[in-house]
Amino acid sequence: MGAFEWIRLIAGCAFLVSGLVIFFTEIFGVFHYDYVLNRMHATAMGDTLGIASCMVGLIIFSGLNFTSLKLLLIVIFLWFASPVSSHVLARLEVATNENLTGHCKVYTDLKALEEELSSEMSGQEENESGGTKS
Amino acid sequence: MLYHYIYITILIILALMLFPCLIRAIKGPRIADRLVSVNMMGTMVMVMIAVLALMLDEGYLVDVCLVYAMISFLAVVVLAKVYIGIYEETRRKAEQAEKGTGENTENEGGMSDGSF
Repeated sequence: MGAFEWIRLIAGCAFLVSGLVIFFTEIFGVFHYDYVLNRMHATAMGDTLGIASCMVGLIIFSGLNFTSLKLLLIVIFLWFASPVSSHVLARLEVATNENLTGHCKVYTDLKALEEELSSEMSGQEENESGGTKS
Repeated sequence: MLYHYIYITILIILALMLFPCLIRAIKGPRIADRLVSVNMMGTMVMVMIAVLALMLDEGYLVDVCLVYAMISFLAVVVLAKVYIGIYEETRRKAEQAEKGTGENTENEGGMSDGSF
């Protein structure tokens, strides 16, 4: 094998292994968190980054032909489809869970959340400035 | 030959990773848990089909992978919508039953007509 072949092999293997590691992280996250809306966070990573990394590895193995173009199309389709399915699943969870406030904070009015966040931010800035002064 | 061994190794690792997803799909306390894990299994199976397409050198398997992605997305969306509908239906029926027992039993016939 020439130098180009070796580079292609190593680059493809690196992308594929990183994709498998991301899939493993996804499974770890799904078993680590306790609630669905947290688990969804780990799953979305595998749906987008994991499959994209694996497909890029396979594209490098396959070379530049029509098959690699279709592999790229799968990745682009999943980038559009995965957020939509996550959104629908989150709506299912919020609509059917009777005890939602027991798992997470629910803001019916967005202004309350904005006020709380801004007060937190100003509090942190005051703390930081106080720390630098002393 | 080296590429063949690489593909076989990736397929074995992905097949081993499918079992925890299946365990989560069985154990998941809520319906959303099960749907999330089914979505995850779909993603891994897509990678397996793409690896098979390169391993067997059959270009059409990539088309199978694309169709699998679309059907997996459709399944998740449709199942979520169906479960939301079932939940709303049962809750409305329970509310109507409460109202019917609280007031009088005259609405009983109209209620059964309205539910269908």
